[in-house]
Amino acid sequence: MTSPDDRIEQRAHALYRQASQQLDPAMAGRLRAARREALQPAPSSHRAARLLLPAGAFAAVALAALMVWQPHRGTTAPARAVPALIAGTGQDDSDLPPDADSADPTLYQNLDFYGWLAANDSSAPERR
Amino acid sequence: MNSLAVPMTDDVLTEEAGERSVPATLDAFLAQVERRAFRMAELQLGHREDAFDAVQDAMLRLVRHYRDKPAGEWSPLFWGILRRRVVDLQRRRKVRSIVVGWLGGGRDGDGDELPTWEPADPGPGPLDRLHDAQSWRDMADAVRKLPLRQREAFMLRVLEGLDVADTARAMGCSEGSVKTHLSRAMHHLRDQLEEWR
Repeated sequence: MTSPDDRIEQRAHALYRQASQQLDPAMAGRLRAARREALQPAPSSHRAARLLLPAGAFAAVALAALMVWQPHRGTTAPARAVPALIAGTGQDDSDLPPDADSADPTLYQNLDFYGWLAANDSSAPERR
Repeated sequence: MNSLAVPMTDDVLTEEAGERSVPATLDAFLAQVERRAFRMAELQLGHREDAFDAVQDAMLRLVRHYRDKPAGEWSPLFWGILRRRVVDLQRRRKVRSIVVGWLGGGRDGDGDELPTWEPADPGPGPLDRLHDAQSWRDMADAVRKLPLRQREAFMLRVLEGLDVADTARAMGCSEGSVKTHLSRAMHHLRDQLEEWR
């Protein structure tokens, strides 16, 4: 003899099975399609993502390297310009003073002399 | 009054006999469980589209993350994934109801509280083709009234027929908890399905 609980369990189980079997064809078809889609191999977007990851990392490293390198370029360019500036002080009337680090210290010691020389150098050919 | 006896059709018996053996492929396993999974999700969510989404997602996750597991483990893993997916959808629906309530949609013109928002179900009646549709509806109503864990224990252990160990794995709890939840569920169902006794 079966207990009331057993009867409920058996009946509920049977109803569940029947309900599952008698699913409407449209939904059964959708479930079949969903299963096939789930079992498809990983879509190409995943493979593309795998390739994009190192490419993105490389791009980030390249960008970082470029940003680190850029300030050096900014500092080296004026450094190269200074000797040219110093060399050209005779001809070019530049507003920028010569770089104190790279210039000869005697330049500053005899600044009055060089000032006089510069002023008289332009008039020298006229005397001849 | 509903019929008390629901004879098991030959198809159902054949299907159950076939399921006792472990399926050879994941495709065969999913083909076996997909309809039942849909019914189980539908029973809990009360909405066909949500139930379909839950089953689809569970199939995807099983294939992606557990396809290399031994075939014997697929069943508790699949039902566990589906259970969590159903819970997620129920929580999302609850949050949506709260937001609708905050926006003033939760009360009517007289200030009375409106029923909880449920998404519209445009599909055909869930069991129009089922001969014993009324019995199924009675059971569905009774099962939906159960607390969450009792409902899960009843559905996995009684409806799906998992053993206690697999039910515990799918529910993420101990075997003792499964027995307790199931015992309480049966107590509630005895009261609610008095006609079935």
